[in-house]
Order: sequence, then structure tokens, then C-alpha cells
Amino acid sequence: MVEPAIALFGGAYEKASHVLEELLRESGARYALLLDRKGFVLAHKEALWAPRPPALDSLATLIAGNAAATQALAKMLGEPRFNELLHQGATHGLYAEEVGELALLVVIFDNSAPVGRVKLFGKRAVQALEVITRDAVVQPGTLGIDHEYRDGASALLDELFGN
Amino acid sequence: MSTINFAAREINFKIVYYGPGMSGKTTNLRWVFQQVPQNRKGEMVSLATEDERTLFFDFLPVDLGEVKGFKTRFHLYTVPGQVFYNASRKLILRGVDGIVFVADSAPNRLRANAESMRNLRENLAEYGIKAEDIPIVLQANKRDTPDALPVEMIQAVIDPEMRLPIFEAVATTGVGVFETLKAVSRQVLSRVAAAS
Repeated sequence: MVEPAIALFGGAYEKASHVLEELLRESGARYALLLDRKGFVLAHKEALWAPRPPALDSLATLIAGNAAATQALAKMLGEPRFNELLHQGATHGLYAEEVGELALLVVIFDNSAPVGRVKLFGKRAVQALEVITRDAVVQPGTLGIDHEYRDGASALLDELFGN
Repeated sequence: MSTINFAAREINFKIVYYGPGMSGKTTNLRWVFQQVPQNRKGEMVSLATEDERTLFFDFLPVDLGEVKGFKTRFHLYTVPGQVFYNASRKLILRGVDGIVFVADSAPNRLRANAESMRNLRENLAEYGIKAEDIPIVLQANKRDTPDALPVEMIQAVIDPEMRLPIFEAVATTGVGVFETLKAVSRQVLSRVAAAS
């Protein structure tokens, strides 16, 4: 079986964005991201005062890889899961928590935001996001990618990589 | 499977380069990174050991452009080829849309090619995926090796039914790199379109 995907759009996307915004406001963190477990960004928000974030694609990929490795470690130790990931440096920290089976919440903060506050509001946000993402799960084959799309993308492959 | 982000109007596909250690998976990605224009690629991330052996994965996002209003992006990954990194290989296969199997043309790597293909099948099975159900393209790399085995012999070992397309390559100079990537990308697009 190919695993289902999360397709956030319309109202669900707006709700998820609102949860991330609230999380930033309440925790004082810089960036909040909702990722799927494969490392693709589903939604993200930045605090108005925060500097430009690092490349989100790379960030998402590394966090998803890290989370997957952590879950594999948990299983090896006989735990069903380790719920959260926390990394703290001299000025920056990163907090990641599972959102159901298919997604991850990531919060990046600096030392102006106490880690306890980030975790507290992070866990609250996870509860809200879990409901939103559960409703946004689509089964393979329902994404609406048609032959016209395939042909257009195929032409772009020639343009980028040559004939 | 592919991830569609309607809000950002993006469709993302995940392609994984698989194969035995030192067969040239990272070299394929480096060539793509060097050749693709700056505005069509993201950062290349390599989690490697000090002697440049892949430890966890390499990652390179490539922007194909906009199709029907959707930005289309391929995320290219490599796995660590060395046998003892199987736990990492398995993790990277999660959500894969297409696979490039990079085989080494050297005679003394024939067995390693076969074992890596068997390992790929086993790891896919753990996600409930049959190798027959996912786009896989073969690449016989290092064709410039003086005693390179005939392509037919390599394919007979890794794909005895001769079901999969195979491309000859010298990834260090870019020969066959784009052809392989285009072939797997087309198969991925066709599969997704057929499913819809």
C-alpha cells in the first residue's frame, strides 16, 4: 500500500496557518512549520520580527530524517515512540513534535523564548493541528493530477535537462 | 507518494538513488547540482563521513517550473550504499515516488549490485510496496571502467526479466545522468496521472 498524503488547502490551510501564527505569538518563537513525514513543507509562518529563515526545503528534509531516525531508535528500545525532539544551542533551539501519524510540527526559537513556553504552546498547537491534518488526508489517486499536467511537466523536463 | 500543496500551489515528488556503495549515486546528484541553473535548484545537503561516504543521505531539490499553475518540484535523495547502513536506507524510502538504481559496471561489483537490488526489494516490501508497482530505472554507471561488464550481463543479474529500462552512464562526466533522471521522472508523472 502506498501511504496516503495530506493535502492542505482552503479552510484547512487557513486554520493550520492560524494555529501556527498563534503559536508564534504565544511562545515568542521565530518560525513554525507543519511538515509531512516525508519532509515536505505543508504550511509555515514566520514572526514579523524574525530574520529570513534558512532554506525551508533543506530544513524540512533534515528534520523529517532526524524524526524518522529517532522513531527507529525508539522502536529498537521497545518504545512505541519518542514524542518530541529538542535541540538547544547557545542562541537557537529547535523543537519538533509528531502531529498524528503523517505530520510533524517544528518550532525554531532563540534564547528570548523560554523552552518551557515553546513546548507548552507547541503541545497545544499539536492538538489543534492533529484534527486539521486528519481531515486533510487524501488517498493516492485522488490528487487530480491529469494527463495534461503530465505532458506539461514532461515538456519542462526536456527544457531543463535537454532533449 | 507525491505531496500536493494547494495553498502554495506546489506538487512535490521524491526520487531516490539506490545502489551498492561507491556506485556513483552522490556523483549523479553532484552533476545535476552543477548543471542545473541557480534559479532552478535549492541547496544540496550531504550527510557524509569525513571521507565523503554518504552516512545518511544527500538531498537536492530541483524546480521543474510551473505546470497548470502548480510549481513542480523533484526532491532527489541518495541512500548510503554500504551494507551496514540499512536502517538509514529504509527510512529514506518512505514516501518514495520513483527510484534510480545505480549499478557499478566493474566485474568485482556484480555481486554487490545483486545484493543491493535484493535489499531494495526487501526494504520496499516493509512499506508494503512491490518493486513492480513503483517506477524504477536502472543505470549502469562507470562505463569508462576498462573492464566494464556488458550492460546485458549487469541487467541479467539485477533485473532477470529485463523489465526495467537501463541507461549507460559515466556520472563523473555527466554521461547518461540527465537521461536517467528524465526517464524516472517521466515514469513518475505517468504513474500519478494514470492513478487520477
